[in-house]
Amino acid sequence: MTSDLNIVALVSIGQHPKSGRARRAEQDARAVELGMRLAGDNVQVLHAGDAAEETLRQYAGMGLKSLRVLQQSPQADAVVALGDYLAEHRADVVLTGVRAESGESSGMAPYLLAEKLGWPLVTRIADIVSIENGEAQILQALPRGQRRAIQVRLPFVASVDMAAQVARQSAFGPGRRAELESLPWVETPDSERAQFKEAPARKRPKRLKKVKATTAAERFKAATAKSQGTGGRIIKDQPPTEQAQAIFDLLLEEGVLR
Amino acid sequence: MILDWLLPVLISAALVLALAGAIKRVNLWRAGQPDSVNLIAGLMAMPRRYLVDLHHVVERDKYMSNTHVATAGGFVLSMLLIVLVHLFGLESRWLAWALLASSVLMFTGAVFVFRRRLNPPSRLSKGPWMRLPKSLLMFSASFFILTLPAAGILPEDFGGWVLALILLVGVAWGLSELVFGMTWGGPMKHAFAGALHLAFHRRPERFNGGRSTGLKPVDLQARVLGVEKPTDFKWNQLLGFDACVQCGKCEAMCPAFAAGQPLNPKKLIQDMVIGLAGGSDAKFAGSPYPGVELGHAVGGPGQTITEGLVNPDTLWSCTTCRACVEECPMMIEHVDAIVDMRRFLTMEKGNTPNKGAEVLENLIATDNPNGFDPGGRMNWAADQNLPLMSDVKEADVLFWVSDGAFDMRSQRILRAFVKVLKAAGVDFAVLGDEERDSGDVARRLGDDATFQSLAKRNIAVLNKYRFKRIVTTDPHAFHVLKNEYGDLGGHYEVLHHTTFINELVQLGRLQLDTFKGGTVTYHDPCYLGRYNGEYDSPRDLLKALGIELAEMERSGFRSRCCGGGGGAPITDIPGEHRIADMRMEDARAVGAELVAVGCQQCTAMLEGVVEPRPQIKDIAELVSEALIEGAPAARAAVAEEVLS
Amino acid sequence: MSDLIRRDPRAEWIARNRLHPLHAAMTAPAGEVRGPSGLLRKNPHGVGFIGPNGIKRIDRSGGSNAAAGGRRGAAKSAQAVELPLHVVEAPDFYVVTVLDLVGGRLGSHDKDVLGQAHKLVNGLEGNGAVLAVVFGECKEEGFGLAGVDRLLHLEGSEYEGYSPEQRLAALVEVERRFTPRYWLFPDSINGGNELGCRLAARLGERPATQAWQVDTQQTLCRGAGGSSDITRATPRLLLLAEECAEPVDERRHEALAVELDSIAPSLVRIRDCGQVAVDPNAIPLAEAEFILSAGNGIRDWDQFHQAAELLGATEGASRVVVDDGFMPRPRQVGASGTWVTARVYLAVGISGAIQHMQGIGQCDKVVAINLDAGCDMVKRADLSVIGDSQAVLAHLIELAREYRHGAAENAA
Repeated sequence: MTSDLNIVALVSIGQHPKSGRARRAEQDARAVELGMRLAGDNVQVLHAGDAAEETLRQYAGMGLKSLRVLQQSPQADAVVALGDYLAEHRADVVLTGVRAESGESSGMAPYLLAEKLGWPLVTRIADIVSIENGEAQILQALPRGQRRAIQVRLPFVASVDMAAQVARQSAFGPGRRAELESLPWVETPDSERAQFKEAPARKRPKRLKKVKATTAAERFKAATAKSQGTGGRIIKDQPPTEQAQAIFDLLLEEGVLR
Repeated sequence: MILDWLLPVLISAALVLALAGAIKRVNLWRAGQPDSVNLIAGLMAMPRRYLVDLHHVVERDKYMSNTHVATAGGFVLSMLLIVLVHLFGLESRWLAWALLASSVLMFTGAVFVFRRRLNPPSRLSKGPWMRLPKSLLMFSASFFILTLPAAGILPEDFGGWVLALILLVGVAWGLSELVFGMTWGGPMKHAFAGALHLAFHRRPERFNGGRSTGLKPVDLQARVLGVEKPTDFKWNQLLGFDACVQCGKCEAMCPAFAAGQPLNPKKLIQDMVIGLAGGSDAKFAGSPYPGVELGHAVGGPGQTITEGLVNPDTLWSCTTCRACVEECPMMIEHVDAIVDMRRFLTMEKGNTPNKGAEVLENLIATDNPNGFDPGGRMNWAADQNLPLMSDVKEADVLFWVSDGAFDMRSQRILRAFVKVLKAAGVDFAVLGDEERDSGDVARRLGDDATFQSLAKRNIAVLNKYRFKRIVTTDPHAFHVLKNEYGDLGGHYEVLHHTTFINELVQLGRLQLDTFKGGTVTYHDPCYLGRYNGEYDSPRDLLKALGIELAEMERSGFRSRCCGGGGGAPITDIPGEHRIADMRMEDARAVGAELVAVGCQQCTAMLEGVVEPRPQIKDIAELVSEALIEGAPAARAAVAEEVLS
Repeated sequence: MSDLIRRDPRAEWIARNRLHPLHAAMTAPAGEVRGPSGLLRKNPHGVGFIGPNGIKRIDRSGGSNAAAGGRRGAAKSAQAVELPLHVVEAPDFYVVTVLDLVGGRLGSHDKDVLGQAHKLVNGLEGNGAVLAVVFGECKEEGFGLAGVDRLLHLEGSEYEGYSPEQRLAALVEVERRFTPRYWLFPDSINGGNELGCRLAARLGERPATQAWQVDTQQTLCRGAGGSSDITRATPRLLLLAEECAEPVDERRHEALAVELDSIAPSLVRIRDCGQVAVDPNAIPLAEAEFILSAGNGIRDWDQFHQAAELLGATEGASRVVVDDGFMPRPRQVGASGTWVTARVYLAVGISGAIQHMQGIGQCDKVVAINLDAGCDMVKRADLSVIGDSQAVLAHLIELAREYRHGAAENAA
């Protein structure tokens, strides 16, 4: 049914949040996973950057025979290259992550690609349920594990959310053997990016609860008030009915009962 | 008389058949991968390995040891003499008498084998093995009677053709079971394959009282990483599988088997035999993998093992505790085989179960299994003021902190050990953030690529500094640093902290109070005990604390695993019980109120048992609690002649 | 009530004692009093209070109010302080904010964005107005207080549900009509990020995303997945991080409604088929909003599952019950299991091993049902019930059943 589909997954070089080391990006890997589940190893995985980058082998280790790399220098605008490539090569579905883990990580890539190709873009998808008669049934991830059903015509671009199925393990052997097919590609320098100054993230000050105190008494109280959460309410020696009622009231109050 | 001409024919036919079988069998083994073994030296060493090293293991069971000596010794002797007397027809009274004696010896042994088989324990395989004592009796009795005329006790034509016929049947049966059955796959295969296995053992260091427990590195450029098909094993590993006597000693010791996880080391080795010869496990006559029916496993030399022959869950159940290897009278290497197959699953299939994939990914990205910030490795010691190797460049002792640095429980052990080091005035330093996971977990989970990457980087760091020895509180890191870094070029003197503290106590550099508290037992960590033979130092130390140990039934080299090794808590294969619970039962059985351990993994596993249960403490904690802070001057004086 | 003036010694005492916990409540300002002619009247006798030694004291700080001492003044018309109104008559330029309006109300992120909008207006010369664009259902009344000068409320079936294409068309129309100086979006998963990016792609702007320090010259935004800071010239389109600026709180704004003439309906290629009913147990534990978690104290597992089902909770478990095989491994909460972020975490029979407590560190409200009042879970919990979990769960099931039943009847 879906085997003749042309699915392209775009991957980037991720970055571990703790160690800062390069890795396969979690969302991109999920995009590859989704592509592989739809099209087996017919999925085409595309990267714009340096084919010598070892991290790409972590994607290949998911069981890909090859990975196509549009050779680009770090200063180049990868989105332009990817857009040109996709305009030339027919694809039915283009899968990306939501946001890159390194670089500007603005999350604009899928939007710019969709705009350039003139295709619809579905954001933050959790799954593609089916593709039939040129139409895809998609589940979009909403906050708190909720899902929305969406229908879209092919071709389209979709960004894959963290709620999608976790990417399969990357195995060393296949990763080492996969072919990294390097394609020389025209580079468009990202001149605007060159103006950016990048530095390690500063810690953002936590917003304090500002006390609009007009009187000394209020200020005193604000300064000496006990912080909340020290010891909750304890209900002891009461019949279970009342205890249950207390819990139930809290659940209602919090609005978690639907 | 017919026997006169038929007997030599039978014997020579049996020998020819045996030779044919041997060639066939050898070819099965030769399908395996090449391994550099010194064939001549191995063959030369074989008798000694057989008579001394193997005998040491068998001797743990006196009954079987004596039985085996009588039966096997009698058989080998008888066979030699049979060839001389009945095949070549040497007419010598002496030889005939010797043959009589040896067959009597063999018969006696066989009687005991028979008795053992009357009501066999569940670990023993049944099936053809139940036939073996009868075959032995038949063989020895037949040749005894046949030899009587040659010894001049009976007239030549005694008994007539009826007896001759009976003897003929007996001889045929005996010869087929004991001579060519040896190479055609009967129970006696163990003698043939076993002898060669001992000669060409993959770990010759294990003989002559030596020890070889480190896993062998994988060639990462190989066509296939790890073992996919039986032929991917080294040829001498295949030979080793064939040597199995199905005695089930491994099964009786295996913690995963006892916990009802789908692993039985004996069955696994037999499955490997099925793999190398082809067939199914329908005829297997021992205990199956718990919860797995017999008869469905099918395999062949060229077939992927984990597709049809062995379920991956079986391989992931192993805690790599080496209890099976320690117990095996044939010195078969179960753990090597299991890890070899895991390597294929992880490095080729990308199929490490449960949290395995996540842990490996973390190890690759952050050098620790839980994905903590590698820059936070020294957070536990913020208040300890520990000297860093990058500052001091040189120290007597390098304290290898291990990943316990990230775990709040293990940090208590680390602090206790630091307190002891400081009290003894030891010149030590730590690597701090330069340290990485030792690679133990990655390697046991089959990811040798990650292990090698971690190890190489660790070695590069270690080689920057000068130190005399490495001391660590983690037996896993201890084992890996000591026994597995060598293959990658890192050779160090590594001590476990119990060994080191014991040394300090012996030198009088620590003053210890007596331990006050209830009954104490000691749990031997597998990677300290069985892997490295360190059973005494922890016990000496506990004695120095004035503790009279209540030893558990399974202690020392028979210690039962806590369930925490080999990545087993990560792969988390369900069973009927938890291994840690069973171990805690062992401790309760001796009325222990405190279980002393020497491993943070064991601490974590045993403390995971639901309370009420005995307390768990690392020996470092016990020592640090009993420290009497001595006069600093006295310590400084001793500090001069410290540690060679 | 009698008009007799009665002294309340306790109230007076509380009014005197500024550290008394009830002081603030007892001395709430009475508000202004107007005479019959509508003139503002001051009652000189109402000022101050009688001190302990019988001398009248006047607290000029304004915190205390005499009205508390004697219950005089029946005309206590409590009234919120009216903030000054900020009027922009003919704006020279617009700063447009597109708000999320989660649940039809302004969220804190929206308010921060409005605060940022005013910061930008103030940083520019001329008379700027903040135009807020909101889509769909709206229950909010406090737009003026949050700093909205002009409000464009787009409503209608075409904007309902997931309608990014139509909304984008509307924003393009706004761009054409108002040519805003800045476009501000909350960089949130509630739609702000998506619309902002779509508009940026359409207009060819390069937005600053996760911007957290913005002025008219420079913008500081997070890059590399939040691990770096990028300093750049402030672009025209910004996606703002939470707490990017202080919300407006010192003046009122007009919140005058504006309208767009007509928006060409866009070609709808993405069809919203509605939200899918998700089985609570299919929600990943890490994302679940409401978790009912089982520990060693659970005896009746059928009852537990029933309770989870009726309450609509996602099931969680402690390590021990997972080890014992009562629950599957993926349900394990804790450092070695899943780290959860539930708004309500209801722990039944879990005493709270350290690893477990680590795993629930980010939960808002923790409720414990436990036999042991001294356990760590009770110490952490916001509400603890000490007793037999089976009985409490039984009653909870009863309550939930009634609640569901009632809801069904109302719906009918």
